[in-house]
Amino acid sequence: MPREAEPSFNERAFLLQAVQDNIRLDGRALDTYRNLDISFADNFGIADVRLGKTRVITRISASITAPRHDRKLDGIFTITTELSPLASPAFESGRQSDLETHLSRILEISLRRSQALSTESLCLVAGQKVWSLRADIHVLDYDGGLIDACCLSTLTALRHYRIPDTSVKGGELTVYTPLERDPVPLAILHHPLCVTFNFFELGEKWLVDATLMEQQCSEGEVVVAANPQGEVCLLQKGGGGEMDALVLLRCVEVALGKVRELGKVVDGALERDAKRRDKGGKSRELRAENER
Amino acid sequence: MATQTIVLPGEAISSDVLPIPSNPSLALKLGPGLRHTPPSTITSVLAGTLCIDQRKNAIWVENNSGRYVPQPNDLILATVHHSSTDWYHCAITPHTTLAQLPQLAFEGATKKTRPQLNSGSLVYARVLSASKHSDPELVCYNPSTGKSEGMGELKGGMVFDVSLGMARRLLLARQREEGGIAVLEEVAEKVAFEVAVGRNGKVWVKSGGVKETLLVGRALQETDSEGLGVQEQGKLVKKLLRGM
Amino acid sequence: MADTTLLPLHRADGSATYSKNGYSVVAAVNGPIEVQRRDELPEEAAVDVVLRPAAGVGGLRERHLESVVQHTLRHVILVSAHPRTLIQCTLQIVTGPEDDSVTCSLPQAASDLPVLPALLQASILALLSTSIPLSMTLTAAFVAVNSKDTLVLDPSVQQIKRASSIHLLAFSSRGDLLVVESEGDFTIDKWEEVHQKAKLICHGEEGDESESEDVSMKSDDISKLENVLKDAVERQIAKEQRWNQTIG
Repeated sequence: MPREAEPSFNERAFLLQAVQDNIRLDGRALDTYRNLDISFADNFGIADVRLGKTRVITRISASITAPRHDRKLDGIFTITTELSPLASPAFESGRQSDLETHLSRILEISLRRSQALSTESLCLVAGQKVWSLRADIHVLDYDGGLIDACCLSTLTALRHYRIPDTSVKGGELTVYTPLERDPVPLAILHHPLCVTFNFFELGEKWLVDATLMEQQCSEGEVVVAANPQGEVCLLQKGGGGEMDALVLLRCVEVALGKVRELGKVVDGALERDAKRRDKGGKSRELRAENER
Repeated sequence: MATQTIVLPGEAISSDVLPIPSNPSLALKLGPGLRHTPPSTITSVLAGTLCIDQRKNAIWVENNSGRYVPQPNDLILATVHHSSTDWYHCAITPHTTLAQLPQLAFEGATKKTRPQLNSGSLVYARVLSASKHSDPELVCYNPSTGKSEGMGELKGGMVFDVSLGMARRLLLARQREEGGIAVLEEVAEKVAFEVAVGRNGKVWVKSGGVKETLLVGRALQETDSEGLGVQEQGKLVKKLLRGM
Repeated sequence: MADTTLLPLHRADGSATYSKNGYSVVAAVNGPIEVQRRDELPEEAAVDVVLRPAAGVGGLRERHLESVVQHTLRHVILVSAHPRTLIQCTLQIVTGPEDDSVTCSLPQAASDLPVLPALLQASILALLSTSIPLSMTLTAAFVAVNSKDTLVLDPSVQQIKRASSIHLLAFSSRGDLLVVESEGDFTIDKWEEVHQKAKLICHGEEGDESESEDVSMKSDDISKLENVLKDAVERQIAKEQRWNQTIG
């Protein structure tokens, strides 16, 4: 099974020395993210996120199905991540690597279990018909920062997506096409984002948004998922070296700040996209047909 | 001398493009990227620029993309993956078969006094042989003179990735005139450093400290990614030195 | 006209994006790399194609498309140049034209064919961005025959639904027919007409500028599809040679 090539001893020693001097190879500060670029396709619900060299596209799609029999009043929301050789020759298609399992689990908890998307709002006809929403995450390029980029991409795609409007009259469900009624945004209750910390020097030093090499040379990883309101949805330290509890708390504090920062970038991108689309929208308002 | 005709795979090279040899008895040499179908059809197999050397009566396709494929006589930077009884098994590029470096292929090495390389060590080596049917073989010395000529284990320093085209330019005898590279000269005026350039797109840099090494590395990488000309390289170096 | 970019990705050895007619595909090629023992071929490179659909994980349809692309690429790549290695091509469909994003619970029985030209073109472009030797390049054309028996080039989703037959033809740079996939009802004569038209679009023919009246075209750009490939390569080389501009 192909694995990522490990850096040589020289590269590892150099990187650790640099971190000791608080220097990163690309000149960033230890607590700075790489350049974050978000763009959208013409269709709603496709978010293309570039974080440095890492690139992730998430796509939202929906279908109508029967609800799960143990949750008759809730819609269904699934997140799938499948790493392919597009992102790196080290990924084998059809085989779930450890990284993929780790990624799936983190996104599952930070986005699904945290009820960022209200599954209740996806219910159409209680006990019979619900929306089943899928988020397909495609990783195109991998240079570390995968969890952060995937979470950004998925949340942005969810916020960008417009689901067809519906109405229920006497148990009869009508789904309106985009021509009949404008599709509506999803009911997103809060905006959680993930911040990954990689630590060094026996847990004394950490850095944010590690590149692949930084990740490979680090002692371990901590992931914090939180929303801009300051609520923590997930705190995960999966093995690796020891870390001082106080340093961990400091990471959570830094994460809260980062989540707000990143959230602003997402807000900005969504606003710009809305403006771009609205150029046609204004003229639509002027048409003779209006809602009575 | 290179003429800028771009060819795609499958294109036949017409005879009027072929070089007119200054020495008529010199046979036409087909370099990489061309395939000969007897009796007289020459077809391109790569997408790139068709290059002609009148003096040597050679023709080839210049293509610097994709993955590095080991060629005999190339100088490369390899990482030792593991060792067995008589060899070190080294990775030249990730996810390919490991190359073999005999443990005695170093200057002055005997069974008792050979260098001990561990997994993760970096070596500067020359490709002795590489064919499509066998694993590549490396040496860290010149077999005819017995001298290391700069090859061997590299200690300390840092490795920077550059494109294959950049690596080729850096290895030219006349970097500035033919390869358009002035950046190393410019940096050397203010900062002392050592470099080892691998044809496989890796450059090893060692300087006084982390900052100096990063400066050299960043200068090289930016020259490469932005396609900077000689003048712009000078400006870049000045900017980086100021930032130090 | 098609929108192409070479080398949009950093980790893959070669990559390309190809967008046309509502389809947007990203292709990445890695190789020659190490192959698993079970897939190793003693005298040739193994070629593996993986296709990821835009939504969902993919099933039978994707396997069929992978197999068509894989067989085509095996002819195009000079597999004898790299025995006992693997050339891996991964295709990701980013968007499709029928992007309703809302599907009924029953999967639509839509055709496999419309996405195939984009898949083939994207993989060829990705291969051109590597140094893997190829014996030829390839261009693909998609033609529909509508109920009035006229040929429609690059048909829209609606036109495909109403067409009496749809055809995919891919030609090599030498003008040889490499891939033919057809669906629907058609006569041999009609197919021959489709064949001629597709060849014209892909390969072009010297001196033959005449348009026959029973061809309706959406795009007004009739330049050979092969020019798209050449143009993409030229742009990439120009970018790589920027430093050379300053050398006298």
